[in-house]
Parts: sequence; structure tokens; C-alpha cells
Amino acid sequence: MTVKVRFFARFRELFGTDIVTDAAPGTSFIDLIKKIAEKNREGHDAIFDTNGAFREFVILMKNGRRIDCADAGKTLINDGDEIAVFPPVAGG
Amino acid sequence: MLLFGDAGQERLKKAHIFIAGAGGLGSPIALYLAVAGIGTLTVVDNDVVDQSNLNRQILHYDRDIGRKKTASAEEKLMAANPDITVKSIDATIDASNAGTLIRNADGIVDAMDNYPTRYLLNDAAIEKNIPLFHGGIRGFYGQATTIIPHKTACLRCIFPHAPPQEVFPVVGVTPGFIGMVQATEVLKYLLGSGELLTNRLFIWDGMQAHAEEIVLERNPHCAACGDTTIKKRKKK
Repeated sequence: MTVKVRFFARFRELFGTDIVTDAAPGTSFIDLIKKIAEKNREGHDAIFDTNGAFREFVILMKNGRRIDCADAGKTLINDGDEIAVFPPVAGG
Repeated sequence: MLLFGDAGQERLKKAHIFIAGAGGLGSPIALYLAVAGIGTLTVVDNDVVDQSNLNRQILHYDRDIGRKKTASAEEKLMAANPDITVKSIDATIDASNAGTLIRNADGIVDAMDNYPTRYLLNDAAIEKNIPLFHGGIRGFYGQATTIIPHKTACLRCIFPHAPPQEVFPVVGVTPGFIGMVQATEVLKYLLGSGELLTNRLFIWDGMQAHAEEIVLERNPHCAACGDTTIKKRKKK
């Protein structure tokens, strides 16, 4: 199945704008992002902490709805889903 | 003014807007609110003008380097519109003074550069029931949202945890752009017209020239505006 992943701000600089990727049925939100990040050490470390969990400030969206970081492991991805991953921007 | 009518302009004249920060966001916001005729602007900042600020902090000029940002801001705003009142306060916003500084303003503009202070503004907005107009920038990216306390998602509902502090390059057009979104929201709120940017996070990517929004909702368990939090605060 095909899923579109969009990164924003610093994450976009590290991963690119829109990523269309294949995912096996039963893939969770966190597994999907880990697969994309596995070959990009800097990007991976920006999003995940040393325990492999999403850093607590990271905002996750699935089809326009917020997903809690704590639920990313049990949130399954479906064909055609649109995923967004972004950090709040802090400057003024 | 034709757009607002006399009644609308009078409303702006009677309004008091609190602007937290006279930097990249605060400069264009303060300038446009001043020339729109907002009667009273309070501008708070604790910094002095540095040469590195001048690519974006358009209230400050080369000749102001080394001067307090509040003094520089007040001078420019008064020159732009001598018919308004500008109160510039050289202070660091902290938990002990936020409420006193904000007083009974009609709106709080978040033009800060860090989340700890933004959370203080958010807390004050909730406690005083004053709307908060949020903006944030990084490079060519920006975000904005409007918070009506107790009715819409607050800053903590949207961003429960602060991102790590970092030093990043900024180009002036981004705070100019996001600042205008915030200033537009202030005017709409005061005039009671249009559709506010509430429960929506506006996201701007200047490099792609692409804007989008994310739908938000209140978190009933929010550490700042959740029902249980408010009850606890009242008990104290």
C-alpha cells in the first residue's frame, strides 16, 4: 500500500518535502517513520530519542488528525493515508 | 477609514494590545498595529539592538545599535502614529510579572523567541481570559494560530512540550509574513469580523511558497487549560 509522508520545518530540511512510500499492511505509525529515517542518522536523531520513541515535542498527524506520540506504536497505517510529522518552530 | 467605518476605527482606538517582544515578529506587528490606529500598545522586551538583528527587526535601525529595543521601538512607533499611546517596558517576562505587565489588555501578541515564555503568556491569557495571538518562525518556515481561552485549543493543547532551544538563521521576510497573519488576527478580533484562525495551525513554507493548515482541538486534559487544571488552580 502507498502512504504519503510530509515533513515540516527542520524535518523537511533533513528528509525532503513529500515522501511517497510503500508500507506493508499492519505497519504502525512509528514503524513507518523509523523505516524512512533509518538511513538518515541526523534525521533519525532529530525525531527519535535514545530509546527509539518519538521526541516528546514532535507533532504527529494522520489524515489531518492529531496522533499522540504515545499512541504511535498502536496506530496502524492504511493505504492512501497522509502522514505529517513536524516540530513546533520557536523563533520570533 | 472606509474598510472599518467610524465605529470600527473607534473600537481600534479604544483597544489596548500587549506585544511580547520587539524583535523579528514584534517589529512588523507593532508597526502595523500602530498605523492601524490601535489606541494603546504595550511593548515589552529586555534586549538591546545588535547589528545581527537588523535583517529582520525593522523597528530598529543601524543607528540604534546598543540601544534598548523598547526605547528604539517606542520612538519609531510614535513617529509612525503620534495619535496613539505606546508604553514600552524594558523587562524580562517571567512567572512573577506576566500578569502585572499584561494588565487588562484586550489581546496578547506572542512575538517571543522561546517556548518557556510563550507558555507564561498562554497561562496569563487563560487566567485573564484574554486572547493570545501566536506566531513562530524558523528560516523560511512559520506558524500562527489564534487562541480564545476556554473556547479554543490553547498553546499547550497544540504544543504540550517545548522543542529544544536552538540557534537558527532567520530572514526578515518570514517574521514579516507571519507577523502580518498575527496582526490581521488582532484587527479581526477587535473589529469582531471575519473568521479567526482558531483551532487551526497555519503553516507557511516560504521556500515552497506553500501554506497549509492543520485542524486542532482542545485537549480536555491540557496542563494549562484542561478542566481539571483550572479547578486545581481555583482551589489554590
